[in-house]
Amino acid sequence: MDAAAPRGYVRHVSARSTTSAVLDLGEVRAHTLPNGLRLRVLPERSVPTVSYYTFFQVGSRNERLGTTGISHLFEHMMFNGAAKYGPKEFDRVLESRGGNSNAYTSNDVTAYYEDFTADALPTVVDLEADRMRSLRLTAEALEQEREVVKEERRLRTENSIFGLMEEQLEALVFLAHPYRWPVIGWMEDIQRITREDCQAFFRTYYAPSNAAVYVVGDVDADETVALVERLYGDIPAGPAPAPVPQGEPLQRGERRAVVRYPAQAPALLAGWRGPAGRSPDSAALDVLQVCLASGESSRLRRRMVHELELAVSVSVSWGWRIDPGVFLAFAELSPGVSAERADAVLRDELAGIAAKGVAAAEVRRAQALLRSSVLHELATHHGVAHALGQAEALLGDWREAGRALEHYAAVTPRDVRRVAAEYLAPARRCVVVLEPEESR
Amino acid sequence: MTAPITLPPIHRETLPNGLRVIVAERKGVPLVAARLVIRGGASFDPAGRCGLAHLVALAARRGTRRRTGPEIDLAVESLGADLAAGVDEDATYVGLTAPVEALPRCLDILSDVTAGPTFPAREVERIRRREVASLAHDLDEPGVVADRAMLAAAFGDHPYGHAPEGSVKDLGAARRADVLAFHRRHYRPADAFVVVVGAVRAEEVLAQVRRRLGGWRGPAAPAPVIAPPAPPRAAVVVVDKPDVTQTQVRIVSEGFARSSRDYFPGLVASAILGGGFTSRLMEAIRVERGLSYGVRSRFATSGAGGLFFVSTFTKVETTAEIVQVALDETARFCGDGPTAEELERTQSYLSGLYPLSLETHDQLAEKLSDLALFGLSEDEVTGFRERIRAVTTEACRVVARRYLPRERSAIVAVGPAKAIARSLEKFGPVKVVPARKMV
Repeated sequence: MDAAAPRGYVRHVSARSTTSAVLDLGEVRAHTLPNGLRLRVLPERSVPTVSYYTFFQVGSRNERLGTTGISHLFEHMMFNGAAKYGPKEFDRVLESRGGNSNAYTSNDVTAYYEDFTADALPTVVDLEADRMRSLRLTAEALEQEREVVKEERRLRTENSIFGLMEEQLEALVFLAHPYRWPVIGWMEDIQRITREDCQAFFRTYYAPSNAAVYVVGDVDADETVALVERLYGDIPAGPAPAPVPQGEPLQRGERRAVVRYPAQAPALLAGWRGPAGRSPDSAALDVLQVCLASGESSRLRRRMVHELELAVSVSVSWGWRIDPGVFLAFAELSPGVSAERADAVLRDELAGIAAKGVAAAEVRRAQALLRSSVLHELATHHGVAHALGQAEALLGDWREAGRALEHYAAVTPRDVRRVAAEYLAPARRCVVVLEPEESR
Repeated sequence: MTAPITLPPIHRETLPNGLRVIVAERKGVPLVAARLVIRGGASFDPAGRCGLAHLVALAARRGTRRRTGPEIDLAVESLGADLAAGVDEDATYVGLTAPVEALPRCLDILSDVTAGPTFPAREVERIRRREVASLAHDLDEPGVVADRAMLAAAFGDHPYGHAPEGSVKDLGAARRADVLAFHRRHYRPADAFVVVVGAVRAEEVLAQVRRRLGGWRGPAAPAPVIAPPAPPRAAVVVVDKPDVTQTQVRIVSEGFARSSRDYFPGLVASAILGGGFTSRLMEAIRVERGLSYGVRSRFATSGAGGLFFVSTFTKVETTAEIVQVALDETARFCGDGPTAEELERTQSYLSGLYPLSLETHDQLAEKLSDLALFGLSEDEVTGFRERIRAVTTEACRVVARRYLPRERSAIVAVGPAKAIARSLEKFGPVKVVPARKMV
């Protein structure tokens, strides 16, 4: 019973997400166990709930061809029982204590969370420590999760226009870096992953030395640290993960791909390889993204949707990643519109910004929208815990979660022009066009 | 789990024109959430004009006597605010999220687009063309197509039987005169209310709303009453999408209105059957058979009625199998009801997580607006846990047997008809519909 949801592909604006104005990071208790597990606790008692996030420093960037998708498949395996809490127990115990849980895998990280009422904290720490210490990896569970993941791939990629196009785009933007393959993995690889692959993966990437825990909400910091030390303290550290290949060659001209699919209308997806998330240019790319396509008065919406009526929706996203990630522009075009024409308008808008920049008022508008978006994320324990984890995993320091607004406020029109010219240069672009074809 | 659920101080006022104002003062992030809700949504679409209420809501912000559409966009966004309008079957919503200091200016704009839109011809036409074009993209999303087919199967010609976004044919025929007439007829202060939640001072907000919307005038005739829908007829519908590799499945049966006494037993029963990771359907379909990534069941409740549905998807080859498993699990649940352990766990789960649904200003504004729209008391929120605790295994069984899919349920499958239609015949005579008929 909510107001109509926005159409099409919408991504939230930023990975960095908190501010000293509303969040006192001075209250964060940071502690590292002898086995390497990092723990950050932020007591915040306005609501009697707790959010508990566990970030493992592993995602599809740590994979190899032949077993792509193992990070994500493994995420599914984490819910299939450990030594103390057996199969099906994890969610049952948590739900009976008034909590719930889920997880996601990205190119860079695998993150698990529980949201629950404050008195369930000891149970949650016990559940999480149990599976980090002694996950059971049975052949039966692997076969079942393999089928589930194949259905997930059919849902999100094979039968989704955006999914089909995004998979092609990443393979254009990256030739050598593991960002080249999709997080969910190639279908054949999902089929091929063995129990032994999973065991080796667990030993390295799910060791406490490769993990961090974030607890935000109605808790006592000292008690939480003591509890975590007691339940995780005896889990041994693991080997150092292998370095991720970084040899991405320089792109010397536009790369294009066509997807022919029985769709009703064409679509256009363009992407550029940007800097690493921790680059000072990341904040300027977020501002550029908002100038381009956040809100009805953004440049691309005004021109492509309102004035020329080429597209029914346009969205732009800058994805903060550990290694240089992708700046994306996606347009759902009106039936019959030529993708080339839409692409020409997109090129023209970007060239205009690279040559002339944007107005100071546009930057102020973007800063105001980004501030609201950051505040929105910080409105919940869940959002704060995630922001801390994301900042540490992607940018190397949880304190970065408190600096986003400063970074955005420091961006000038000159910065926006410079990053547009540098990262969105024509020779660096990759384009995927969806050409509708007749049904078989 | 024992901490009581409380609401912040709530101030209410009814203006002389009938507009109700509800303000909740609450600490938290320096944002404010506001919703203006008008009784009357897609179910008020006139015959042959499905999608009209939606079009009116979108077009209202495209110009007023004081501002052009682009001026409204720029003014709102420069303040760091978001203004969005839309409809569901029962109501029209204008939603606003803004930095708290920008509230007075944003309320001015929100009032302007609600009470004084001019519907510039060019803008109305443009939005209409865009919405028609958007329907082509909807058709490319199998899940969206399945939801549309489910509404049609559940409600038929009843005003709840079409998606708020309308159809290509009806939107194609809609004219600006239709838009003006709908606005004149249905945007009336006596059928509307405003909810504001955030770190505000209620007296100031009330004064602002009085000033901005006190002069809003509407027709005397009250909103029409939507009759309760008839239960769905048994049917098996295959919506043909020849090229997909995965079938979207919906099984739908009778439901109830939001104000029904069955609401809480229904909430608990549907959660046990298909609400979370430990539900019976999840267990049978995902955990035991690996047939799908997800499955859920829920009562969808509206003002005049509702429906119960199971929603899932599977590879084309296992379409009939997943339908069979879902029906078998549902039948088993209707027969035995939940176990005491399942009931207890689900009650804890629903009660424990409930405060999370009130955590943000937007969430609370939505909750307060639902209470007002459906004429429910605040006790639904503050007494949520007691109401959940009061549900018994027998009450779950009774509500399941009354509503869940048995004889009169409709099965909808969106997939390649050639590959799936025959296998679905065991559930009843199969009707095949081309996907394009769904928009």
